[in-house]
Amino acid sequence: MEPQLSWYLALSAVLFTIGVTGVIIKRNVIAMFMCIELMLNAVNLTFVAFASFFQDVIGQLFVFIVMTVAAAEAAVGLGIIIAIFRNRESLDVDEASILKL
Amino acid sequence: MLTLLFILFAGMAIGCALAVVAQRNPLYSAISLIGVFISLSCLYVTLAAPFIAAVQVIVYAGAIMVLVVFVIMLLNIEQEERRRNRLKFLVPTAIVLAAVLIAEVAFMLVSVNNPTPAVSDIGLTSSIGSQLFTRYLLPFEITSILLLMAIVGAMTLARRGGLLSAEARLIPGAQQLPLSLVDPNAAPDDLRLVETDSTEAAARLLGVDPLNTKRD
Repeated sequence: MEPQLSWYLALSAVLFTIGVTGVIIKRNVIAMFMCIELMLNAVNLTFVAFASFFQDVIGQLFVFIVMTVAAAEAAVGLGIIIAIFRNRESLDVDEASILKL
Repeated sequence: MLTLLFILFAGMAIGCALAVVAQRNPLYSAISLIGVFISLSCLYVTLAAPFIAAVQVIVYAGAIMVLVVFVIMLLNIEQEERRRNRLKFLVPTAIVLAAVLIAEVAFMLVSVNNPTPAVSDIGLTSSIGSQLFTRYLLPFEITSILLLMAIVGAMTLARRGGLLSAEARLIPGAQQLPLSLVDPNAAPDDLRLVETDSTEAAARLLGVDPLNTKRD
């Protein structure tokens, strides 16, 4: 039996939920950041699976653009993390509850 | 054969994803996340998307995770200490989320209309490139503007806030101070830098309270 489309969708849903769980339960900003990357990858898997099963290249183009957004997010997000750490000497999100540096 | 590969790499991906969440040390989380990226890349190959698989390894496992590991090392993060759950409603929320996920997966496994995969060339670099530079040229160009904005934003956020004035509060950490601030006898425009090893040394040089590190 060949892998079905629904298998890939199920795997993607599982990965996305693990990522959401991580964002909810983690306190460290960098760990939360990595869980967000995990969620983006779960969505990418959905795109590639649909592109492959429906023979449409646009799904893979979307993955390409999602990766660019992820790279931009990594650069800006890590800059924010460094700025927070420099001001508070802590990466705990509970301590960074005021929206100013 | 493909089924076997799917089961292998799906298992690897889920296992590594669980490790990302379960680890307390962010560095181990990052390495598990690289495992997720590699196994997803292998799944992309089974989905006939070799270009996306290569970009996944190069951009995600290469560039982004190197940046994350670099920041983890730079900030010298200790392990997350074990504490009480911060909010009481998180456990019921997690249970509800898990129930929704199981319902969703069951629905997909039962009712999604599975098309048959066909051998094709949609995943090859040439077909992606020809679409990207003709029909989808505008999103591609907007992407470059996005990257430029990210570069400017990251530089603005991460640099130190310029030279300190005499009234400025202290910035934590090792830093360089201009001589005109540190030495009263120096000329006011003397910008030769004095290096300090710690927040306390900088506070002593500037004559301010070392605890007064937050700007308000």
